[in-house]
Amino acid sequence: MDDKTRTAAGIAAHLQGMKYDDKRLAELAAEVEMLNDSVREAAAQRLTFDDDPAAFAGLMARGPRK
Amino acid sequence: MRNDDPALDDLSAVADAIAAGRLTSVEATEACLARIEIWQPRTNAFLRLHRDKALAQARAMDAELKAGKRRGPLHGVPMAHKDMYYRKGELSTGGSTLRRDWRAPVTATALQKLDAAGVVELGFLNMAEFAAGPTGHNVHYGHCRNPWDATRVTGGSSSGSGASVAARMVYGALGSDTGGSIRLPASACGVVGMKATYGRVSRAGALARSWSLDHVGPLTRTVRDNARVLAAIAGPDPADSTTSEKPVPDYEALLEGGVAGLRIGLALPNDGPAPLDAQVGGAVQAAADVLGRLGAKITPATLPDFTALYRAAEVMVKCEAASMHRPWMEKTPELYANQVRTRMEAGFFIPATQYIDALRLRAHFVAEFLATAMEGVDTVLLPAIPFPIPTIEETDTENKGGPAVLKMVAGFTGLTRPFNTLGVPALSVPCGFDSNGAPIGLQLVGRPFDEAMLYRIGHAFQGATDHHKRAPI
Repeated sequence: MDDKTRTAAGIAAHLQGMKYDDKRLAELAAEVEMLNDSVREAAAQRLTFDDDPAAFAGLMARGPRK
Repeated sequence: MRNDDPALDDLSAVADAIAAGRLTSVEATEACLARIEIWQPRTNAFLRLHRDKALAQARAMDAELKAGKRRGPLHGVPMAHKDMYYRKGELSTGGSTLRRDWRAPVTATALQKLDAAGVVELGFLNMAEFAAGPTGHNVHYGHCRNPWDATRVTGGSSSGSGASVAARMVYGALGSDTGGSIRLPASACGVVGMKATYGRVSRAGALARSWSLDHVGPLTRTVRDNARVLAAIAGPDPADSTTSEKPVPDYEALLEGGVAGLRIGLALPNDGPAPLDAQVGGAVQAAADVLGRLGAKITPATLPDFTALYRAAEVMVKCEAASMHRPWMEKTPELYANQVRTRMEAGFFIPATQYIDALRLRAHFVAEFLATAMEGVDTVLLPAIPFPIPTIEETDTENKGGPAVLKMVAGFTGLTRPFNTLGVPALSVPCGFDSNGAPIGLQLVGRPFDEAMLYRIGHAFQGATDHHKRAPI
């Protein structure tokens, strides 16, 4: 078991109370790494301290500015 | 095409015929029931058919009309809906075995609005389990089958909505769209599907897949029909805090503007999760050529970073689905199809910071989309599904699996899911048929709350083509 899979095993067992076998944990670790990396990279390029998650909902509810 | 069978007419024609007294709601309902008798065994589109209740409703609508009361432009029209729209006291399975016997405590706002508009409800339609699946497979209730070729998928998750409208069993149906679940079955079945702007239609009383990405919308045979149904269900709703107070335009009145002078960005992306098939690309290019001949200016479109948009959506849907499904995932995981359960599991491992950052990124993504892809154009035109419609067997992740099958299934949503992240409106319109005889759909994407523009362009396209008039036989 590699470090990432071991981390996933720890989250499953100790933080989430879920049970998965080692093969599935390895798959999940790889999937989460790919998704995390993508969001982290996009966030590093765009987000500032003041970005609020509600900005999108506000934008949609308000409608576009022409 | 005029035929003595009113089931073959479109929703607007039937509604107008009922209003004018040339047809009764009972006659329209009986025509649909006769089609259902023929097509249900071939498609498995309905999970529950309410024959007697629908006929009683139709008689009531006819009586109201006779008494001089017309509820509106959908009065007496038979429809059916994806089995995830709650009706108080009635079964609502969400395509799952976990809710096989569950009865809804409330009625969905969209259904309340259709009730008020005088729609007759024929029943509830097949769907992917918990709206999680882009193909139309369902191991609990049987796969929904494409009316054009029963060996092929319908697209999902609103599988029964696409199949029932295409086979002329109903005049229109509600679907829902979290990553393409209206547009994919619309494209695969050869009908029109609208995912309106996030907040345009209330999600209250609709089973959630992902609160941040879910959209409620109609599937119909024509763009005009779609505009009519959207106008009936759109608008603010105190039961859904994300709905917009913006007034709902009279979409139908805005249909006839034509496309002369409009600017259309054309995108034929070949770098998504699945490469663009030449037949599909050719059909979408041909559609752009039609619009060009009608006077639109066609220019190459610059698409946003689809990978970032796609993966941000994946983070949102996995985290939100894991949160809402946790009690069942802990106690009875075996009651899910494997492919449904495994798609949610990563949500237990994604850090909250990543989930929140995905939400924070959305406003930036929208600003970038408007400043790049939408800059100088009125719509972006691209395929809905990048490849010809595969067979049910080819995409059977439950029994077959393997990287190639999983990649093909992921490829279904490659060109649709990014627009759920953005929350912008996207319309799928039939634009041709592949060499197997299965439909091809084009996708029109617009600015937030500019559904009217997409309908206007789609309507002009349908006025110049006849793909939408062909029905499976």
